[in-house]
Amino acid sequence: MISFREPIRSVLSLVVVMLALSVLFLLLSAQFVFVVQIIVYAGAVMVLFLFVIALFGPARELARTRLRFQSWLSVLFVLALLGLIWAMLQGIQYRQPEPTDLAFFGTVQSIAVGLFTTYLYPFELTSILLLVAAIGAIYLSRRQDQDI
Amino acid sequence: MSSMTIGGSQLDASWFLILGAILFTIGAAGVLVRRNPLVILICIELMLNAVNLTLIVFSRQLQNIEGQLFALMSMTVAAAEAVVGLAILVDIFHVRDVEDIDELSELKG
Repeated sequence: MISFREPIRSVLSLVVVMLALSVLFLLLSAQFVFVVQIIVYAGAVMVLFLFVIALFGPARELARTRLRFQSWLSVLFVLALLGLIWAMLQGIQYRQPEPTDLAFFGTVQSIAVGLFTTYLYPFELTSILLLVAAIGAIYLSRRQDQDI
Repeated sequence: MSSMTIGGSQLDASWFLILGAILFTIGAAGVLVRRNPLVILICIELMLNAVNLTLIVFSRQLQNIEGQLFALMSMTVAAAEAVVGLAILVDIFHVRDVEDIDELSELKG
């Protein structure tokens, strides 16, 4: 996915990755998150990326970089990061959960109960965040029209 | 490592966590290696997805719904981040054609 020269191929392979991840969510009994993943990520966000790429054409990436050693350094850093996460995964101590009803777990109802009782305040905050993001995006694209 | 029953068969939770770690490092490698600002945004989305996978695995493992709630919140934040980032990129692309993120290293208008 990250090795393609053209961004459109990266976007399309990311869509495939997200669909595969959504199937994993379904496997982990997270039905609502599965639907949201398909609609929001594979639908809305990726279409947004595709629009931007279609708007500005297939901008090919230049092979030359100003810092020659940067890619080697980043490979080293990424391998160190993977080793760190791996070491952390080895040390996980799982504790036995109190058994819940898995037929109820992850449904829209159980998520709504959590979202509208315990976590009502963060939920309202995300609505404000989305509003701010929408206003910011509109402002950023509106100012361009006045320049032209 | 602990296993959990999914669809009648035993599955090890650590495989999901390892997949999440690999996806996260692929995203980090993309952010570090690639030069195109659009592809860097895509790689950030990949990293956020890997973290979502980890959250949902632990939510299923501990049978606690709060992990899924947090994954939904992070999806919202990721959507907002993608919208604002793409708007900024479109604004920059209107002014000039950027092929390398290092061309934007100055903060002059």
